Amino acid sequence: MTRNLLCACLAALLFLPGCKIQDLTPEQIGMISRSLTTTIKTARPISDEEEYYVGRAVAARILSTNHLVNNKKLTDYVNLVGQSVAIHSEKPFTYGGYHFAVLDDSQINAFACPGGIIFITRGMVNAVKDEDELAAVLAHEVGHINHRDGINAISQSRWTEALTVIGADAAKTYGSQDAAKLAGLFEGSIDDVFKTLVVNGYGRSQEYDADRASLAYLAATGYEPRALKDFLERIVKQSKGSEGGIMKTHPATSDRIENVIANMPEQKADPALVQMRSRRFAAAVGR
Amino acid sequence: MRTVTAITIAAIFLLSPELSPAADTARVVVRENAIREQCRFFAPVKVKIRYNDLLTILSKSGDWYKVRFKGVSGCVHKSAIEEKSFKLGGGFASQGQTPSRDEVSLAGKGFNPQVEASYKGSHPELDFRTVEAIEHFQVSSEALSEFLKDGGLSEP
Repeated sequence: MTRNLLCACLAALLFLPGCKIQDLTPEQIGMISRSLTTTIKTARPISDEEEYYVGRAVAARILSTNHLVNNKKLTDYVNLVGQSVAIHSEKPFTYGGYHFAVLDDSQINAFACPGGIIFITRGMVNAVKDEDELAAVLAHEVGHINHRDGINAISQSRWTEALTVIGADAAKTYGSQDAAKLAGLFEGSIDDVFKTLVVNGYGRSQEYDADRASLAYLAATGYEPRALKDFLERIVKQSKGSEGGIMKTHPATSDRIENVIANMPEQKADPALVQMRSRRFAAAVGR
Repeated sequence: MRTVTAITIAAIFLLSPELSPAADTARVVVRENAIREQCRFFAPVKVKIRYNDLLTILSKSGDWYKVRFKGVSGCVHKSAIEEKSFKLGGGFASQGQTPSRDEVSLAGKGFNPQVEASYKGSHPELDFRTVEAIEHFQVSSEALSEFLKDGGLSEP
């Protein structure tokens, strides 16, 4: 309400005949600029920097019950494959960058924390057949980050409340009450994202979109786009009747495979190169 | 109502020549990035840029901008910057200068280190130390370029 009033005053001020920016005092200019920045921030739900802090906290929560695989060679390799597809995405740079890590978990799964930290489980590394399939899985997760699917899991009511606190007077440091309110909202936001990532999974349309993104990134990088279809088909066969891991959070269903087939790029990778990458995959994962 | 207000105010500012967005400036929105000699990944770095640095845009070429920062010209990828700075007399930092304290304060509003510290304090069980180790892990441009080449993959 305060902001609406201020906005109305601003509008009136700017429409007054003869009112020029030169006539405004530095304080008035400062007030306009602060209000404008706040308005822009309100229109844009979250900045890349804020998304980064949400993502860090979600990652810290995942790591509170999962350890990382302590294998530098594997971590190096997964990061190289992940970065290869990430730099071919719409958003090759995020506030904190993309980082890939392997969770010591036998379930087949992968998680994209907002901002750029991507986890893949040991079970997933064992489930993919070669580098191109690994790239397909990581590209799918990069797609979720590009589409800000994690952040979109935060309930609208939390945004509304958070923006009320943030927008109250953007130029001042938070008072203890506002800081406490924001900390509470931050915690709630982490809960929302964590539940979606680890417990419920994304909606079907978000999975479709991430698959389409994966196909595009694979093709742009020079990987075999069919690797995504091959992987999903195998997982569907292997996981019949299973409800845990990837089947819970990224259901590999026949309609998802149909969506992948329908959006398959025409580009095919050179089979000799796929074989060569397959050999370096085997060396990196110890097969 | 809020959206309508936001649109109204944005429209007013856009229509006012004195307050038009400075189309030739952009702010760095990632923690760290670089201005490169050519408009491509892996091109030699001319100067490092950091969050909130203000760059002058010289031209645009595909996904890359030609920019100038502190007298150095070169290329930066569009995803590392945001064209959302405004010319408002002396109220905002000018190109190449350090942003004012208010600007930094505004940029960090919302979920920021202060809020994270509070969250960490009430959740000591969360493993932020490993998160930092993950973030600390870096793939060098040279290693990535070699990996792409060795695998018969494309450089963007």
